[in-house]
Amino acid sequence: MSDDDSVRTRAERGPERRGAATDNMSDRTMDAEQPEREPERGERGGLVPGIFKGLATTARAMVTPSHTAEYPDVLPDLPPRSRGTIALLEENCTSCMLCARECPDWCIYIDSHKETLPATTEGGRERQRNVLDRFGIDFSLCMYCGICIEVCPFDALFWSPEFEYAETDIRDMLHEKDRLGEWMATVPPPPALDPGAADAAEVTALSKPVRPGRATPPAGRP
Amino acid sequence: MTSTTDPRELTVGVGAGGLATADMVLNIGPQHPATHGVLRLRLVVDGERIITAEPIIGYMHRGAEKLFEVRDYRQITVLANRHDWLSAFSNELGVVLAVESMLGMEVPERAVWARMLLAELNRVLNHLMFLGSYPLELGAITPIFYAFREREELQTVMEEVSGGRMHYMFNRVGGLLHDLPAGWLGRVESTIEDVRGRLPDLESMLVGNEIVHARTRGVGVLSAETVAAYGVSGPIARASGLDVDLRRDTPYLAYDQVFSSGGPGRVVTRTQGDSLARLEVLLEQVHVSLDIAQHCVGVLGSLPQGPINVKLPKVVRVPEGETYYATENPLGFNGYYLVSRGDKTPWRLKLRSASFNNVSVLSETLPGNLISDMVAILGSMFFVVGDIDK
Repeated sequence: MSDDDSVRTRAERGPERRGAATDNMSDRTMDAEQPEREPERGERGGLVPGIFKGLATTARAMVTPSHTAEYPDVLPDLPPRSRGTIALLEENCTSCMLCARECPDWCIYIDSHKETLPATTEGGRERQRNVLDRFGIDFSLCMYCGICIEVCPFDALFWSPEFEYAETDIRDMLHEKDRLGEWMATVPPPPALDPGAADAAEVTALSKPVRPGRATPPAGRP
Repeated sequence: MTSTTDPRELTVGVGAGGLATADMVLNIGPQHPATHGVLRLRLVVDGERIITAEPIIGYMHRGAEKLFEVRDYRQITVLANRHDWLSAFSNELGVVLAVESMLGMEVPERAVWARMLLAELNRVLNHLMFLGSYPLELGAITPIFYAFREREELQTVMEEVSGGRMHYMFNRVGGLLHDLPAGWLGRVESTIEDVRGRLPDLESMLVGNEIVHARTRGVGVLSAETVAAYGVSGPIARASGLDVDLRRDTPYLAYDQVFSSGGPGRVVTRTQGDSLARLEVLLEQVHVSLDIAQHCVGVLGSLPQGPINVKLPKVVRVPEGETYYATENPLGFNGYYLVSRGDKTPWRLKLRSASFNNVSVLSETLPGNLISDMVAILGSMFFVVGDIDK
């Protein structure tokens, strides 16, 4: 429970040391203005009033070299998973629309059409292919969540740490597939994982026993 | 409780020399450098003394709960990140824990400890923010730079694992998105040591400083009864003596192991209930969280190889039913009341946010204080406006 002293609010106790409350900590003429009452010692105690402890810290910081990285002269050192912008590898995209569907903001615009390819062998079936006409991401809506990248089954979308694409016109924040393709050059490889991580699926598949069956694959199949 | 007293009209003095005065209605905010974000306080003041105070919220209402209703659980995580943006990881965690509890899903141990580590680092980030901004409101310009330097170091570590510095989007139903990068645990450990080593510099400017003391001791006292009546939680409640911490009382993840006797976790309380007590709770909680984070790093380093998430079906459908899952966010209790009708989107996802209750107590605390003390009290009620308005 609060003790008697603090039940009365600060206001009721009346103004005290008005000057001290408005002092800027960097304005050091405090020597003349010693507190009238015994100053309460900080955790570390000692004869030095608490204000001087703060002064000592700032004095020390003044003579230590600063650790500030002065952007834009120095570019930040960003980790590979950094979410800067989204890059599109167009050849992998099959216009499955999963990214556009899963986006919480509906900021991906995809247009595509189907093309029919003639049969390659005689009497064979015609093939249907999706051709991507338009793939746009509106970065003025994008919330940089990464769901589109996570959900793409064909690895057509990647994160890139690039962040310097601010525009003066908001309509320029809609990146179409050519611009998204340009970001691909800036996509870093994913980081190596902690040794405690589970092995990748490809590694565990190798250690599975070979299924009994054909000793040699049938002719004609790669 | 809204106390809208009409400003009084009085006549001061007697006879012919009487002076007609009236109380002044002063609006602090919504845009104001001393309020964290768009909080409007409608004060009725007599000179400089506050007669009534009414926090008017809603300037940042984004309709999060309505938006939740048309999004699936992974998309909800994106929005849930953003209501209390300083504790983004803890918010995400609440959502996925609520969904996992309804699905009855058991998360791999690696994910549990990684989540705890990241949640505690998030707590340190949140507290450092307020440890910087509160002295700034009192007039001390330097501590915020020191606090933000520590935040940058920790945000670098968080960015390395999740890709984001503030909105991590790293929790998924069933675990975490990616596994930890190689060498990351070592970097976390060295960052924790660095931050811990520089904390005394930050503290030297706060603890024992006579100016901070004069402005915060006995200012804005909250009794434990008021705290319980308004549902205030988190460091503010504990500074008034209310010994409640959901990490110890209704443990989630592996907090029961951490908060057991002999573990690094402990609940920090004070009894005075004034602004200085709230500041002290925050400072001590940073130390405790760094201890817990260090412990988690140790555990993660010793766990056997394992997955970081559970393989989910293509579409995650939560069975019919309802649940309320509350976690101890850095600012207080953060609860999600999830009502599901068996779809992949919730029927209703109500958000119980910590800052809403923390701010509601202002109408009781502020009256009787001077406006300059109001700044000290407001800064000590650690809140994030997005959390109030949702």
